[in-house]
Amino acid sequence: MTTETAATNASPINTLEAPASSGLSRRKFLAVSGMTAGVAVVAVACGSDDNASGTDPTTATTAAAGGSTTTAGGGGGGDLAIAAGAAGLEVLAVNTYGAALDAATAGDLGEVPPAVAEYATTAKKNHQAALDAWNGVLADNGESEVSDPPADLETTVNEAFAEVTDIGGVAELALMLEGIAADTYLDAQSMLEGSDAKQLAGSIQVIDRQHIAILNFVLGEYPVPDVFQSTENSVL
Amino acid sequence: MSVDDRGLRELISESQDLQSDALRDARANASAVQEIGASRRGQKPDLDKTRHVNSERRRLLRNGGFGVSALAARGLLGSAFGAAVLNIVARPAGAQEDVDVMILQTAASLENLAVATYEAALTLPFIKNGNEVVKAFAMTTMEQHAEHGASFNSQAADLGGERQTEANPKYTPIVEEAKPGLDSPLKVVDLAATLEEVATDTYLANLSLVQDAETRTLFGSVMGVEAQHLAVLRAVKALLEADAADLIALPPDVAALPAAAGSVAFPEPFEEPDMASPPEEGAVQ
Repeated sequence: MTTETAATNASPINTLEAPASSGLSRRKFLAVSGMTAGVAVVAVACGSDDNASGTDPTTATTAAAGGSTTTAGGGGGGDLAIAAGAAGLEVLAVNTYGAALDAATAGDLGEVPPAVAEYATTAKKNHQAALDAWNGVLADNGESEVSDPPADLETTVNEAFAEVTDIGGVAELALMLEGIAADTYLDAQSMLEGSDAKQLAGSIQVIDRQHIAILNFVLGEYPVPDVFQSTENSVL
Repeated sequence: MSVDDRGLRELISESQDLQSDALRDARANASAVQEIGASRRGQKPDLDKTRHVNSERRRLLRNGGFGVSALAARGLLGSAFGAAVLNIVARPAGAQEDVDVMILQTAASLENLAVATYEAALTLPFIKNGNEVVKAFAMTTMEQHAEHGASFNSQAADLGGERQTEANPKYTPIVEEAKPGLDSPLKVVDLAATLEEVATDTYLANLSLVQDAETRTLFGSVMGVEAQHLAVLRAVKALLEADAADLIALPPDVAALPAAAGSVAFPEPFEEPDMASPPEEGAVQ
């Protein structure tokens, strides 16, 4: 079942550092998430009882555009870096659906079927809720909330959006964004440490995948084409 | 009914190609898992892992997982039935059992039940001879569940466990009880949606129960597909309830779809694991 209360129920996520062998390219993800040089991802107390990794909880991570370093004095920054990156993707999704709805209202996309308008409105709300949840996690851990999308991806989306002239084009663009988000959340499962963070990422991944199914249907494609979800569109 | 048969077959064919690719990816790490399994054989179970699962079980129970909130919503928590279910789901994982293997076996049991249920549905005249898109969905989804079950069983075997070839013991009687009453597509869709939601919620819960990252990714990967099955079934159900079965077509007449078709598949912005099956529910006895 689904709920709107995940954000409020979520306790602060475990901020343990992801293992070095996890494959997380933090430099790439931080770049995508819009986190710039000098931004410190500082760990604070965590609410999860999951400390099975044995990682030293007094270790914190300072992430910068040129890489990440570990410094003493906190918890760890792996989960928080992923939370910030996820929030950036959600900002981009909210903005894109918002722009599509504005364009539809202005009549720039031609005739907009009721189901498509309803989809865009609902998907935007879903992504806003996801953004609020991730920002809640960041705020609970003393971090700044994320309000900007990843710059590179935003540029790509804006360029694609400029070419869109109808609802089909919007659906294709939305499909790309949802695919990136869903695959990133799946990819994050191998890197996240905290139980609450794993649950939150998974609970949003489900909804993004459902968005994809409906978009596939609207575009006339088979709605569930994959036996297994892959991580091929992940930005991690 | 407006169905482009050739187009639908092409789409499913493309889908099957993608499925093969995805299966290759999913099994790419099999040798690594087999090494873990080999190293575990003859070893005592990992007590830390058992403690972790029991801790997570308590957390999920507190948050209404494993069907507790569903029982509460139906006013059954204080009943004898509710007490019996709670007794099952609250029972901690035993230290003598490999928890990851039990979790994988339970997942396989759900997949086995899903395959059997879709298989049975495809024998019903109103499915077999009914809407081509619904029939194609049932066939493709059945095959996808078979792949999921095989993958969970392979992972369990690689970890040194037995393959689960039986259907889930909790839900099988419920499905069997429902079968005689399946006299319309709507009832079949409703039953299938319930099974898809149980699977989705189970794999979501498993994300925090399973400590092995490879196994966790497998659960996340399958969860992402079951969630889509659920979305499609919700949308189909809404169209059937609106007496608009003719709109269940590929490609659809998008302009004719009711507004609700754009939102009914995801009623809330977050999925909660409150219909999840606990780890040992479908474990090999």
